[in-house]
Amino acid sequence: MALASMMSADPVKTTSYKVVLPFYAYAAVSFLVATLLLFLSAGAFGRHYFHPHVIAITHTMTLAWGTMIILGASHQLVPVLIEGKLYSNVLAYISFALAAVGIPLLIYAFYHFNMNWMARRGGELVVDAIVVYLVNMGISMSKSKTENVHAVFVFTGGLWLLITTIVGILLVYNFSKPLFSQDSLHYLSLHANMGIIGWFLLLVIGVGSRLIPMFLISKYTNPKLLWKVYGLINAGLIAFIFMFLYHIPACYYLLPVAAVLSALLLFGYYCRQAYKKRLRKRVDEQIKISMLSVIMMLAPVVLMVVLIVALAITGENTRLVLAYGFAVFFGWMTAMILGMTFKTMPFIVWNRVYHKKAGLGKTPSPKDLFSSKVFVGMALVYILGFLLFITGILTTIVLVLQAGALLLLLAAGLYNFNVFKVILHKSGAT
Amino acid sequence: MSLITNSDIKSNIAMAALHNVIDPEIGLNVADLGLIYEINFDEDEMRVSTIMTLTTQFCPMGESIVDGVTQAMQQTFPEYNIQVDLIFDPPWSYDLISEEGREFLNL
Repeated sequence: MALASMMSADPVKTTSYKVVLPFYAYAAVSFLVATLLLFLSAGAFGRHYFHPHVIAITHTMTLAWGTMIILGASHQLVPVLIEGKLYSNVLAYISFALAAVGIPLLIYAFYHFNMNWMARRGGELVVDAIVVYLVNMGISMSKSKTENVHAVFVFTGGLWLLITTIVGILLVYNFSKPLFSQDSLHYLSLHANMGIIGWFLLLVIGVGSRLIPMFLISKYTNPKLLWKVYGLINAGLIAFIFMFLYHIPACYYLLPVAAVLSALLLFGYYCRQAYKKRLRKRVDEQIKISMLSVIMMLAPVVLMVVLIVALAITGENTRLVLAYGFAVFFGWMTAMILGMTFKTMPFIVWNRVYHKKAGLGKTPSPKDLFSSKVFVGMALVYILGFLLFITGILTTIVLVLQAGALLLLLAAGLYNFNVFKVILHKSGAT
Repeated sequence: MSLITNSDIKSNIAMAALHNVIDPEIGLNVADLGLIYEINFDEDEMRVSTIMTLTTQFCPMGESIVDGVTQAMQQTFPEYNIQVDLIFDPPWSYDLISEEGREFLNL
């Protein structure tokens, strides 16, 4: 009995659903709010991107939707990545509460373009939430026996998020008390790209590179390649910040873009290898839409290259800036979340409802907890809405913008239907 | 790899019970998935010890699967003490999936 003498291991300790589900619920409602605001303010997307409604919608998407769901999911996933456990549930609750109060204050202030106390307090609460999150993650990782590339991606992403929000709050103050040499509009691209590349991209690659092979049941791993991706993204972002602050001519921005594009291509190669070496031949719809978002990562980069060329030749191009932002937040980021929500949340709820019943009889599978028909409908409506709206931005036809926004609102409604169907699931309710 | 030892009849009963423990992500039971390495019956101490693995060490459903195995064994052998040990060496591989499992997964 050689195996009997082997050292017994413990399975990974999962984080309590009570910590994670509030983030998911908050994010889902926020996505609905963002698409409703998009529909009500569709005309604003035919004007300049520095429009109060555009700024409010952007922050609803980035903070209330993207960041909240990522914070929630990372409380669940980081223990899996580090083979340890979350340091503190209480810190996770505090982080949620601070962000949940701060974000609406900030969005309301942006919508009415009031940069006084409400925007400031809101921004400060968001910064506090991120500090608490980073402390929790940092201590969890330091207590872990193993250090791995995925966890480093997540923590570095969190640091970039902190820097992004600190810059953001300084820009809010800069409206009333000049802190910088130029107005806040000038620094917007710095703030936006730190968030997009530093926070969202690093986090999505760090977590996706672990989850995609796991969901495909693929044995493919390549930490060396992921370290290269990590280096390229951080080097590209730091180079961009340096060039921005030292007023380097726009054409040189192609260098950091090339670094990020190389990183994306390497990550695409990584996903393709994982896909080729997968055990699961039938790939479900949730993974398909997540894989689609990997391809959709290239759209903002292509737009960025066009933007830089246009900037170098003709000066600023508002249409392209809006299309770039929309492609990032409503395209790539949202597609990834729409897919990954239903690859993570049903398992969390399944664990809550069926953990004690496992092995004692027939239980539904996690994918039975939501409607796959509604999911497919949501995906189709979403893709159509996205394509229509971005066409509307480029053509400035308000009717096309409104039609696109209406479809995105419908997609958000269907998404919420499924999210709450899962969250409210009880034993025997399928 | 056939590592089932001791009483064949009891082992078969145990394996039948483990067909009810499903890996929720894959949708296949732990027996056909090849996660069960050994089942040993110690009649003197009235103990059943199961040695098992997971498809990946990072499996977020690992706790649930291990508890499912424990509960299935407890239900099947209520007079025995149940012990479930999780190991990752040797690691799980595709070769451990049964013929039925391969059919289910379209391999």
